[in-house]
Amino acid sequence: MFNRLFDWLLGLFGARRQIKLGVYGATNVGKTTLANRISLDWAGEKIGKTSLIPHETRFVQKKERVEIKLNRKKILINLLDMPGIATKVDYRTFRKHGLSRKSAKKRAREATDGVVEAIKWLDNVDTVLAVMDSTQNPLNQINITLLGNLEARKIPVIIVANKIDLKKAKPKAIKEAFPQHPIIGVSALKGKNMDELYDAIGKYSRRAG
Amino acid sequence: MKKLKGLKIDFISSSILDKKTKQKRINFILNKVKDGSILITDGVLNYAEEMDLIKETMRKVDNGFPGIEVCGLKKPTKGLNSMVERFTDQKEKIQNFFSALRGRKIEKTSLKNGLTLIGPAKVIREIKKNPNSFSVLTEV
Repeated sequence: MFNRLFDWLLGLFGARRQIKLGVYGATNVGKTTLANRISLDWAGEKIGKTSLIPHETRFVQKKERVEIKLNRKKILINLLDMPGIATKVDYRTFRKHGLSRKSAKKRAREATDGVVEAIKWLDNVDTVLAVMDSTQNPLNQINITLLGNLEARKIPVIIVANKIDLKKAKPKAIKEAFPQHPIIGVSALKGKNMDELYDAIGKYSRRAG
Repeated sequence: MKKLKGLKIDFISSSILDKKTKQKRINFILNKVKDGSILITDGVLNYAEEMDLIKETMRKVDNGFPGIEVCGLKKPTKGLNSMVERFTDQKEKIQNFFSALRGRKIEKTSLKNGLTLIGPAKVIREIKKNPNSFSVLTEV
């Protein structure tokens, strides 16, 4: 309530508050690819490195003061690319990707810390892009727990059905699984349907100026 | 006597978990799972507690324990039952708030109606979930 009042007062004086936009999801769903796409589109540079090895993002990556211009308004966002949420982190998985035992164990340690960090950040984000891989079954416990937590905290969420450029993609399955949330199908890699996503950010974000 | 090797499944009544505070409940679950058991209970953790379970699991991950697999099936609630559930949630929030005011950090939440399976990721290879069912593939 105080936030809303504060935003209203800021609006009166023509100021805009920055939206902390968190990019959440399970591992390897394309969170950093999406964050990079948003950052490239509006700030001209990438936010982080992507990889096929799980848990490439092990620390919260930020891009501050990104201005998204829509038809009638501008939104100022702090883009937060979160480490992937997981219930397991096995260093042996990284070994299969060619990492040495020492590097794999280090990566696993950092990955577990990253998951904890991402969960803690749930208390600080204003709006969430919940990224899902539309080639996978969306009914996994990570997606369900994440959305349940966002609903309980009343944090606006937009589900991003990513990888729609792939043949196996079934964004409709995500719509059927979570009909209560807005869902936008995109290909972050190819930049497909991003305008629709930006419109949704403007429409559903809390504290959009 | 020779110790038998195999898969251990513990079926635990939700009433046992319900008696425990949030932290004790999470520790109880993780101790069982770390010992190699698959735990099945006739209740579902609330979403915040499930997130805390993931957070606590990550703190306990080591070379021998890569984490957990978890799957819950919540019984859909409608009408009066849904109202009762919301009332219980609010009541617990208020009770926890007053406990915190009195300096006691005891968080109690009751399990929702449903079914939960939690097991070691080392043993559970895959969980396939549908809206009203799930199947589990394990290593033997």
